Amino acid sequence: MNAVGVAWSAPITFNTALPVHEGGFVWREQFIYDKNSRDPSPANRDVKVSGLVSVLGYGVTRDFALFGMLPYLDKRLDMDTGGQRVTRSDQGIGDLTMFGRYTAYQSDAPGRTFRISPFLGVKAPTGRDDARDGLGRLPPPIQLGSGSWDALGGVVATYQTLNYQIDSQLSYKANREANGFRFGNVAKLDASFQYRLWPQTLGSGVPAFLYGVLEANLVRAEENRMGGVDDPDSGGTTLFLSPGLQYVTRKWILEAGVQVPVMQNLNGAALKNNHILNTGFRVNF
Amino acid sequence: MKSIWRRTILVLSLLLMSASAFAAQQVYKLRVDGLACPFCAYGVEKKLNAIKGVREVGVDIASGIVNVTMAEGAGLDEATAKQAVKDAGFTLRGFEPIQPATRTK
Repeated sequence: MNAVGVAWSAPITFNTALPVHEGGFVWREQFIYDKNSRDPSPANRDVKVSGLVSVLGYGVTRDFALFGMLPYLDKRLDMDTGGQRVTRSDQGIGDLTMFGRYTAYQSDAPGRTFRISPFLGVKAPTGRDDARDGLGRLPPPIQLGSGSWDALGGVVATYQTLNYQIDSQLSYKANREANGFRFGNVAKLDASFQYRLWPQTLGSGVPAFLYGVLEANLVRAEENRMGGVDDPDSGGTTLFLSPGLQYVTRKWILEAGVQVPVMQNLNGAALKNNHILNTGFRVNF
Repeated sequence: MKSIWRRTILVLSLLLMSASAFAAQQVYKLRVDGLACPFCAYGVEKKLNAIKGVREVGVDIASGIVNVTMAEGAGLDEATAKQAVKDAGFTLRGFEPIQPATRTK
């Protein structure tokens, strides 16, 4: 689930340093479709993940905001085994991620702002991690949850003007073991550029903006660990380019984008990503 | 006698009309730094609207100017405006009362 961002205008696929006003909420719903195939192994695996990700952000103070992110997922694995094609799947609530973000640096000027915000959080094992079917226990990537409490943190910087916005984020997720399995830790470097396409000239008041969005996500995942042994067919480095559109008003945002893998340097027979679609809305209240 | 009554009514009417005409709503012009997108403007509007006596908040995002119109007889001090803008996550750079808007009741 690389495409899950949090709640604010700005990047579609990751966080921003822009504020949530004190006592205010930002609610985001994001539909994700993540397809992974091009399996180099004879199993010809194909993994599809559809998800509706609900995000709620709350401004505790002007500088500190809390975010909660809960996905509803449909995970599906199709593979060849014993001379036939089988499907293994599960649907339901996934793992809850909660984190706090603090505005450590802020510089405001007329029509522009620059902010740097570190963030720190945890992923709680709220999703089912012991689902089974006729073939036995589902493999960990198809389980809705990892079963582990994991830690995540990073820093995001945002430079916003009336005409364009640039965001950049460096983040790390340290995964822990559960049920004899540990997902590899993940380091990410993200960048986003949003340019106001319309209106070309700003009128009076608060007009709605249409932004063209181009994002890049560099994802480095370590190998998974199973029974104390690293899985040589997991982990690797992927670079996504993600074009998108955002329609931004005072109260709400509509957005859509697609993450296209332009470089995948994966270990062994790790599944390659085809694309990740994401679309949704955000509401300010 | 009749003419005295007529004059009294006329004077009272004129007094009432003039009082209505000069009922003033003080307007304050705030320069807010850091405002650069429509979604950000909402927080500033919400925080300023929550101040007692504020009747209307008008944001002009291109200039970063926020006009705050108060209810009749109400005023706004700079410290209160500054705190509201700060709570919204932005910076108040300028605060000035401008010509009161007069209106007829």
